[in-house]
Amino acid sequence: MPEQAQNANLRLALQFALRELRGGLRGFYIFLGCIALGVAAIGGVNSVAQSITNGIASEGQAILGGDLSFSLAQREITAEQIAFLKSQGEVTKLITMRGMARLPDGSDQTLVEIKAIDEVYPHYGSFDLSDNRSNSLKDNEVAAEPLLLERLGLKPGDRLEIGSSIFNLVAEIEREPDKVGDNIGFGPRLMMSLDGLAKTGLIQPGSLLRYHYKVKVDDPTQARIAAVSASAKEAFPDSGWRIRSRENAAPALTRSVERFSQFLTLVGLTSLIVGGVGVANATRAFLETKRPVIASLKSLGASGSFIFKLYMVQILIMAALGITLGLILAVMMPYGARYALSDLLPVSDGAQFFPAALAPGILYGVLTTLIFSIWPLAVSQETKPTELFRASTYGENRGRPKRVYVLALLFCVATLITSAIYFSDNRFISLVFVGATIFAFVMLKLVAVAIQFLAKNAPSVRSTPLKMAIANIHRPGALTASVTLSLGLGLALLVALATIDGNLRSQIENNLPEDAPDFFFVDIQNDEIEPFRSKLLEIAPQGKIISVPMLRGRVVSLKGIPSEDYKTVSGGEWVLQGDRGITYAKRIPENSTLSQGEWWPEGYSGPPLVSVSAEEAGELGLDIGDDITINVLGRNITAKIQSFREVQWETLGINFVFVFSPNTFAGAPHAHLATLTTNDAKNGNSDGTLLKELARTFPAVTAVRIRDALETVNGLISQLSNAIRAAASVALLSSVLVLAGALAAGNRERVHDAVVLKTLGATRGTLMRMLVLEYGLLGFSTAIFAILAGSLAAWFVISIIMNFTFVIQPTIALTTVATALLFTIVLGLLGTWQILGQKAAPILREL
Amino acid sequence: MLTQSPKQAIKLENLQLTLGQDASRVHVLKGIDLDIDAGTSTGIVGPSGSGKSTLLMVIAGLERIDEGKITIANVDITNLGEDELAAFRGKNVGIVFQSFHLIPNMTALENVAVPLELTGTPNALEIAEDELKAVGLGERLNHYPGQLSGGEQQRVALARALAPSPAVLIADEPTGNLDGETGKQVTNLLFERQREKGLTLVLVTHDLALARRCDRTIPVRSGKIETTDA
Repeated sequence: MPEQAQNANLRLALQFALRELRGGLRGFYIFLGCIALGVAAIGGVNSVAQSITNGIASEGQAILGGDLSFSLAQREITAEQIAFLKSQGEVTKLITMRGMARLPDGSDQTLVEIKAIDEVYPHYGSFDLSDNRSNSLKDNEVAAEPLLLERLGLKPGDRLEIGSSIFNLVAEIEREPDKVGDNIGFGPRLMMSLDGLAKTGLIQPGSLLRYHYKVKVDDPTQARIAAVSASAKEAFPDSGWRIRSRENAAPALTRSVERFSQFLTLVGLTSLIVGGVGVANATRAFLETKRPVIASLKSLGASGSFIFKLYMVQILIMAALGITLGLILAVMMPYGARYALSDLLPVSDGAQFFPAALAPGILYGVLTTLIFSIWPLAVSQETKPTELFRASTYGENRGRPKRVYVLALLFCVATLITSAIYFSDNRFISLVFVGATIFAFVMLKLVAVAIQFLAKNAPSVRSTPLKMAIANIHRPGALTASVTLSLGLGLALLVALATIDGNLRSQIENNLPEDAPDFFFVDIQNDEIEPFRSKLLEIAPQGKIISVPMLRGRVVSLKGIPSEDYKTVSGGEWVLQGDRGITYAKRIPENSTLSQGEWWPEGYSGPPLVSVSAEEAGELGLDIGDDITINVLGRNITAKIQSFREVQWETLGINFVFVFSPNTFAGAPHAHLATLTTNDAKNGNSDGTLLKELARTFPAVTAVRIRDALETVNGLISQLSNAIRAAASVALLSSVLVLAGALAAGNRERVHDAVVLKTLGATRGTLMRMLVLEYGLLGFSTAIFAILAGSLAAWFVISIIMNFTFVIQPTIALTTVATALLFTIVLGLLGTWQILGQKAAPILREL
Repeated sequence: MLTQSPKQAIKLENLQLTLGQDASRVHVLKGIDLDIDAGTSTGIVGPSGSGKSTLLMVIAGLERIDEGKITIANVDITNLGEDELAAFRGKNVGIVFQSFHLIPNMTALENVAVPLELTGTPNALEIAEDELKAVGLGERLNHYPGQLSGGEQQRVALARALAPSPAVLIADEPTGNLDGETGKQVTNLLFERQREKGLTLVLVTHDLALARRCDRTIPVRSGKIETTDA
């Protein structure tokens, strides 16, 4: 067809479509709901993520605490370096470290994240204390987050012991401008002055502390900041400092937000695909009502392709409406997030409309609509005008869709899959997700066929309601396929996510290995290690103590390639980011076994050697004999890989990615890390006594109770899983919408059956039992599928991807069955309930 | 492609048609031969299941035959494709159904304009308006089918069938869904417009009185024409 004629044809299709749509939205509510929910979930998640990313970017100076930040582990920068920084602008110096905050009577203590500040702090943003003063902490004063006051039962004005000094707790911290830029802490924040920290005695050679120098550049233009950063690198190439600029104030947070939003986008996409079933059902039902119109139009000279265009235009107009509704919800989400997350994350204050973040929602919304409507449209355009004369007297005469429509459908499916994978950072996870969804779809179709087969071949039963219910499951036009498909996918996703969540929690809460330590102790000085061990043995004679030397180091290069340019094979980037704990050892450390290469001989004194965790070595693509350069205490040390070790990280014992030969760090100042494993302490009764005793002798040693640390992690997982559940709930909501639509579509037949059966003498009770059994059997079978498919997906994630032991979650299974039964029976009965009580005659006349 | 005399509007040769599958397979048309002159009216009568409606569908190009040849308005439509048939129908064949089959969300005027718009006729709405006025519905142009009586709906359907000035007008039980008086009015209008436009009218009916008003009556029984002249 010439282009001009095609355009005229399309214009006419649009004109006819607008006329047809005068009938209103009837029959399209489920369609609209499904598209709107999916688009809202995807667009909303991306908008919130964008809002947070923008927040980080716009508040970059405050989050970083300056225009540029230079930080170093365990040592200060040189006088020459400080002079350089001061020549670029005003400099504030901070020290961060972990420590113990104790009540002066020693009765209670807790881990705190210490931040010592100078009088210049902060360069940007405001540091607010509850007594309405900002930075004016004297060297005997501290301020703390409310959580610390809550944990130790303190109030402003009370006294607190840190290290070997007593401080006045003068106020609660209300606002710490650069908190988001710091890593997640295991304890509440405690702020003090640099002089105050010096008095605690916590600053010792090898102590795990970090020095930060934040520069407020005199001329804070982007170009100037970049120039200062470049000249700092050039002037001090071996400084070992980590430089961050305000443009990249919280890289880890930004990365996490992006990754998490990508994951939630996939969950949102699932809800859209679940909703796609509703789109298909609604399209099919809509086109079914349009068969006489289609036949009329064809009898008046309309071609099949014109019919396709005419109804595709209407479906796309509906999709546009659904997408618009979804986008309105999505645009509102960052505003909600600002209130919900403002204490935790920097959500942007400005305009919250992010077109780029909404684009995936629009794209996926359109593609889902096309994928689920092309087939019914292609079938409908084959409607024969002869139907106007006789209604399929000679059997179904609908024809098969033409090849061009099948190809168009396949193209849309391929585009959706490609986009989902392309837009994701972790393409493997996306691929698995897409694969699982397609697999679930195919399986659900097979499950529906299997249920119908079983129902058809079920042995005869005596109960009439059950007999009729079984018959309803396998008869032509039964609800089986639409119910399993609509509810199955949403439930399976929910089961998968809930099972993964449950497994992670039980991994943390219940599956603590028998030999997992109860305490970690850090910052034990070299000369303290033996007395410390003796003291520990004295307090906990049955306890098992392991101690290792510990230093902090930053990977500078691998195989001669700078770490910032190094391309990893599959993950493992975290090893190259920031400082890593490193150690040296004469023998193979506990909780690890040699998997490749050899251990260095006792008394080895040759060039530095290193043993690397086999898993991370694989991810980084390292081989025996490769060189690793690491910056420790400002000195670059290059070691050759001598062996790989299989490390049992899950024991929670002391483990390191890099273990060096002892001669590597000969003479370097360092502290020790120790663990204590004692069954007494596991019940928590003697924890207090133990810590109290230790604190008296070793006030500078920081103790981390493993259960407290796990609680922190658990809290984080809770927050994440709440967000995941919220996204998954959208999928379930879509499922329920689709289910309601599918049940409503089958309602007419149910009403017909019910009325005919009533005329034949069936009581309301019999009818009710029949319907409950039918809906119940369908709901139950779907739930069984959802449990199996969801658990399989969860097993894959837990066992294969995360390498944890998979535990079946019976509560989730039971909840799933109950949910499925509730939804199918309640929604199913809602449509037929009123009919049961009515007289048959008026309805029979209408049927 | 001229295969009939200029006087002939419809020429059917040895039409064979079997419908359905397996057990429901029925030999509906069994060697139908029929010539219908242009400008005449023909009534096809017969009992239910005799194949008369199928014959009408074949003439309208709505049903394909297994064997034989169909020539309508000098065009051999036997082997035309689905879309070619639709285009042919739009220009050459007008159809009036027993159940009207108007498009519910379009006004009377828009319904009548549909076949014109589908063929790209430039002044479709003006022609449609004239046709509606000609069937006495000038006051009902913007009414929807649901707002019209059965008789009015059938008149709209007649106007729609006549709007593209087809060579052949076919009608399937055009009064089947109307009461006696209304049916009579619609019948009068049908024949009146057929004569005015000089159309070839073929109608199927159970109503012998209606059939008798045609120039010719064709009785069909068991897929065959019993005799070609009444």
